Amino acid sequence: MSLRVAFDGITKRFGAVPVLNDVSFELAPGRVHALLGENGAGKSTLVKILAGYERASAGTVRIDGGAQAFPTAREAEAQGIVLVHQETNLADALTVTENIFLGHELRRGWWLDERAMRAKARMALDEVGLAVDPDTKLRDLIIAERQLVEIAKALVRRVRLLILDEPTASLTPTECERLFGLVARLRADGVTIIYISHKLDEVERITDEVIVMRDGRFVGRAPTAGLARGRMVEMMIGRELADMFPPKEPEPTSGPPMLEVRGLTVPGWAEQVSFTLHAGEILGFAGLVGAGRTELFEGLIGLRPCSSGTVMIDGRPARLRNPRAALGRGIAYLSEDRKGKALHLHMPMRDNLTLASLDRHARPWLSAASEDRAWQRARELFAIRGGDAGAPAATLSGGNQQKLAIAKYLEPAPRILVLDEPTRGVDVGAKREIYFLIARLAAEGRGLIVVSSELIELIGLCHRVVVMRRGRVMATVAGTRLTEAELLAHALDTHH
Amino acid sequence: MRKTESDHLTRRHLLAAGVALAAMSALAAPPARADDAVNLGVSIPAATHGFTAGIVWWANKAKKDLEQAHPGLKITVRTAAGAPQQADQLQDLTIVTKINALVVFPFESAALTQPVAQVKKRGVYVTVVDRGLSDTSAQDAYIAGDNTAFGRIPAEYIAKKYGGSADVVSLRGIPTTLDTERWNAFTGALKASPNVKILDGKYANWNRDDAFKVMQDYLTRFKKIDVVWAADDDMAVGVLKAIQQAKRTDIKEVFGGAGAKDIVKAIKDGSNPLLQADVSYSPKFIYDAIKMTAEARLKGDKLPPTYIIPSVLITRENAAEYYFPDSPY
Amino acid sequence: MPSTRITEADGSAGHGAAAARPWFRRMRWRGYGPLLGLVLLCVVGTALNPDFATWDNWVNVLARTSFIGIIAIGMCFVIVTGGIDLSVGSMAALIAGGEILLMNSLATSLGSPVAVIALGMVFAIVLGGLFGIAHGLLITRGRIEPFIVTLGTLGIFRALLTWLADGGVITLDGMLSDSYGPVYYATPLGLQVPVWVFAATAFAGAVLLNRTTFGRYVKAIGSNEQVARYAAVDVGQVKLLAYGLLGACVGIATLLYVPRLGSASPTTGLLWELEAIAAVIIGGTSFRGGSGSIAGTVTGAILLSVIGNVLDLTSIISVYLNAAVQGVVIIVVALLQRRRT
Repeated sequence: MSLRVAFDGITKRFGAVPVLNDVSFELAPGRVHALLGENGAGKSTLVKILAGYERASAGTVRIDGGAQAFPTAREAEAQGIVLVHQETNLADALTVTENIFLGHELRRGWWLDERAMRAKARMALDEVGLAVDPDTKLRDLIIAERQLVEIAKALVRRVRLLILDEPTASLTPTECERLFGLVARLRADGVTIIYISHKLDEVERITDEVIVMRDGRFVGRAPTAGLARGRMVEMMIGRELADMFPPKEPEPTSGPPMLEVRGLTVPGWAEQVSFTLHAGEILGFAGLVGAGRTELFEGLIGLRPCSSGTVMIDGRPARLRNPRAALGRGIAYLSEDRKGKALHLHMPMRDNLTLASLDRHARPWLSAASEDRAWQRARELFAIRGGDAGAPAATLSGGNQQKLAIAKYLEPAPRILVLDEPTRGVDVGAKREIYFLIARLAAEGRGLIVVSSELIELIGLCHRVVVMRRGRVMATVAGTRLTEAELLAHALDTHH
Repeated sequence: MRKTESDHLTRRHLLAAGVALAAMSALAAPPARADDAVNLGVSIPAATHGFTAGIVWWANKAKKDLEQAHPGLKITVRTAAGAPQQADQLQDLTIVTKINALVVFPFESAALTQPVAQVKKRGVYVTVVDRGLSDTSAQDAYIAGDNTAFGRIPAEYIAKKYGGSADVVSLRGIPTTLDTERWNAFTGALKASPNVKILDGKYANWNRDDAFKVMQDYLTRFKKIDVVWAADDDMAVGVLKAIQQAKRTDIKEVFGGAGAKDIVKAIKDGSNPLLQADVSYSPKFIYDAIKMTAEARLKGDKLPPTYIIPSVLITRENAAEYYFPDSPY
Repeated sequence: MPSTRITEADGSAGHGAAAARPWFRRMRWRGYGPLLGLVLLCVVGTALNPDFATWDNWVNVLARTSFIGIIAIGMCFVIVTGGIDLSVGSMAALIAGGEILLMNSLATSLGSPVAVIALGMVFAIVLGGLFGIAHGLLITRGRIEPFIVTLGTLGIFRALLTWLADGGVITLDGMLSDSYGPVYYATPLGLQVPVWVFAATAFAGAVLLNRTTFGRYVKAIGSNEQVARYAAVDVGQVKLLAYGLLGACVGIATLLYVPRLGSASPTTGLLWELEAIAAVIIGGTSFRGGSGSIAGTVTGAILLSVIGNVLDLTSIISVYLNAAVQGVVIIVVALLQRRRT
């Protein structure tokens, strides 16, 4: 059942650019291996070669001693090697069951065995802890749920080597717990697991061994037990990292609030939500996936209908019918869904940057020079690396895409900025940069709202954190009470 | 030449009301009456071209005139936008309207042979118009315009008038058997005059705009053209505009076809030196076919199995006989 | 507010090499494939018949391309938003019919033919714009797929014209026809009026698409409507304008078309929608939207009429195969297009 994998001198080039350089290491069967490295270190490419999505330019992969090069993912899956993607790779228009069995449909004679597939899908969904009907269309699921479907999909294949690439990036703490239980169970069954994550607490908890890559090379390996997080980070970035978070400014409570929301109801998602935000403050929003945080803010800026509630900006009532009106009153919202809602991946970076503030570059004809100047400035200010103004945004790494997205929503000079999951799919170095950027924006007098599923992030960054559960505000936590246990207790309603 | 929009509307409304009334009375009529009276169905293509518009107009005129003249006669006119729709309408006419005589102008010969045969099998007397069915046993009578003469008459006219020597360009309609029949008759008749040269014949889809383009290109390509056989009066309009634009004076005559009222009027009045003759292929033959069928059936007679309505050369002398100012075509 | 805000005023940031180049140098020339196809076709055309390369022939070809070309420019905007308009041919027919009826009825009351014609031309553009806005409203407010909306109006427009024409032909009165004629036939500076209008429309279209916020929003919506919506773009309004623009283009094409034959019939504008869409797509605009090229669209439109022109100027290929030749050329150009991207 267990499977022994060895990489032997793996090199991969895209054109002239080397992505992997002579990578050699072995994976012991039946253990959980953390594969660490910053974005661009080559982790994803390496596992894609293993799972048949890419071909190595040189070197061999050995499975149980024999050289193997899978021409497609299908052959790899036949051997029990399954990769759960970083960005989900599912068909929107198909149901959960259809996605799980896509390409491996169960048949009874000539006909598809719908009933058996549905039953098996339900079992797999139970196992990953996703409570949705197997007949739900994928497009009706949110990102976290899609990821769980990916994992369920791996389960129904007879998996021997499971590669999880950023599986918890958008999962809530409970969902993560279930996933960890699942990993432990699979390990006990003898499944070899490669676990790619930026979340070091998870790595600490569930992996046996840490393997670190940097700049396309193998850097080192060590047993997880006894390896300090700081040391892991240093191995990844190749330098000392004093602290992830900037020092907190004192909470600015004096003066009238910049934004005051009273009894806002977004039907089906948020009920009677009230909160205030002061200039210079960083306000966090915690909660499980489905708690209604994203929908609340989409309602606030007019992307969803609101049935009741008042919004006051600087003490004056505001009617925000659409994002344009919201921006007019100085509120910008950056969506959690970078690919689908925040950036035009196929459009030039410069065009992405200026889209929300295009009027400023039109006099009346658009001035490319003016847009280029904006791009140059944003690039320096936000340290966007690897970008040419005219190249599509898709060519940037995840972290740089996120910086571009933040820059885009800062271009119209909003006074209130809502960042929804600002560090999802971003490597440690870029995360740190984003944290410092958020602190700086607040220090300049803006009001910042950070919606995040990473509690550590909220605790490290925010002055106060609003915890939501099923569309309602459960608590607002501040100061010394800001701990993981406290936030979780409110989010799960196990407080008292 | 055109009526104003408003009186146009009223006429339309009256017509629509009339059709609706006729349809209602058809539903109300007890089936027993169908035996002693003639209940005639007319199935024709919808008005998408000047010619088919003429067909629709003449069919409705026949209905009005004949129903007035014969109290025992009821006529139901149906227009179809394509062969499948026409087949459906034939079924409805037979089963719902319970016709006992049918005049049908088939969209296509082959596709409608079976549907028409089904109608005949139910004891309906069938007159097929213009396009013959592939199986003639599916019809009782066949009435048609003379497509051979449609091509032959202009050929003979050109050969005679230009002393057996002329450079001719011609236009063709849409690739169909109908068009091929006319084209073969035209080229066949000109074999007798080897000095009449047909420079080329391109399709212009019985459409003014396409004819304009094709003629422009002919004018670019051929420095000397004596006669244009436009093969259709609608296409002749486009041809005339192209010649006018190019200011070419070598062209002596444009010969259309079918006898559209504007062209016939121009011939009658001598208002355009390029227009001197035409060949009749009037949509009025649908009127004649309905009239012949209805009157024969009222008397219990049969029609001759084949009746060809002759195509006639229209010139200034006889143009008045072929000018119908009320018809849309 | 002390700021990280990026403003125009403080010009301290570095200028990239890209910024220094003038805008026309930085336009990417996507029209490659069709341009190559067009050049090849011209070479073949000239070889088959030297008359092809004459000035008069080119004037003819450009003039007859102008109707489809002007519509295709409007269509380019709609396709870039990710939409489609199937009704343009029928719309042109109905506008033509309406314009002629209006002018005929005004002729008696107004007297001056110039005033009548001017009114008729304004009417054509306004009517087209209104039709386009009606499409836009049904698509944005009514939330109906553009394909379905315009498939519906395709039938409605043509049926209305057929009804107005009583199945026959609507003809412009003789005197008006003579005064209106020059709008199609006159040749200021050696080219017919429609060619000039076509060129002006193409230029305006290129500026609008590449150098205005509207054009950028059109691309952004086609590339990903959600992202545009979240970036505070008024998606509904931009779409409405794009369809309105196309309608106005149809109106312009029609007001140039009417003086050519002075009539409208149920066959007017038949299949223009396919030609216009084909011109846009051959020109390198993606059917899925998001990006498009006016230069490519113009090339595509010219290419389509050159195919017909070359076929008319020769008789080496049986007339029965004309449609096949057109099909082959279109597919070959599409292949050239694909290679280059």
